[in-house]
Amino acid sequence: MKETGVDSKTAAFGLALAITSLLSAILVVIKELNQDTVLALMKSATGHHWVSHGIFVLIVFLVLGWVLARGEVGSRLSGNALSAIISASIVLSALIIAGFFI
Amino acid sequence: MPNEMILMLHASFGVLAILASVWVFAETLTNSVASQGRIRWVSLAGAALMWLSYLIGGYWYVVYYGADKALIKEGPWPFAHSFFMEAKEHIFFSLLLLSTYLPMVALRLAPERPQVRGLVLWLSGWIVLLGLAMEGAGALIAMGVKVALLAKGAMGG
Repeated sequence: MKETGVDSKTAAFGLALAITSLLSAILVVIKELNQDTVLALMKSATGHHWVSHGIFVLIVFLVLGWVLARGEVGSRLSGNALSAIISASIVLSALIIAGFFI
Repeated sequence: MPNEMILMLHASFGVLAILASVWVFAETLTNSVASQGRIRWVSLAGAALMWLSYLIGGYWYVVYYGADKALIKEGPWPFAHSFFMEAKEHIFFSLLLLSTYLPMVALRLAPERPQVRGLVLWLSGWIVLLGLAMEGAGALIAMGVKVALLAKGAMGG
């Protein structure tokens, strides 16, 4: 097998970053469109919706990274593919957030 | 500590985190054996600085921003909150994840792993770009408060 230099743990947490970034952007849209339910729930959980959002993002990133690493999901990904996936996710999630508030 | 100092610390740690990522990007371009130790340490320092910026900025946002928000929304630049602050506070999470992930990847750097080098370049590049966008948005939000106060002063408020 060709040596890509990206081990399965590195790939797993890279994929977790890409997925979490998108989920965070989707959560922004969901909570802003459902202020009486989702946003209110996030406010009541920690006292501030943004604090709850941050905790959600960190937990999803860590859990997803751990689960993907255990399953060796990203073991066949090259470093270049991982760079492209992460970059696409960063651009898309920023566009979702900026597009929603514009 | 005055509120303004808390805010300045948030922006300052953010700038230092951006500079650390510029350093990582520049040293990774050469990716010599001698530079790899520095890349690892500076990427770790960048992550720590970004976390400090997040925690300090988050504290200020949750505790003190409400008064600024009310001013901005009544002032001539309501978009400083409705667009720039809303986008900044949420896009920041992607930046925090990138900064946290970069040292994990930098640990794998070696001359025989060119694709890890590429990944470090992409990650540090995104941190610099998003970090500068955050600094710019922060400046616009501060200007939103300033023009609101000026308008209030002009009306004798």
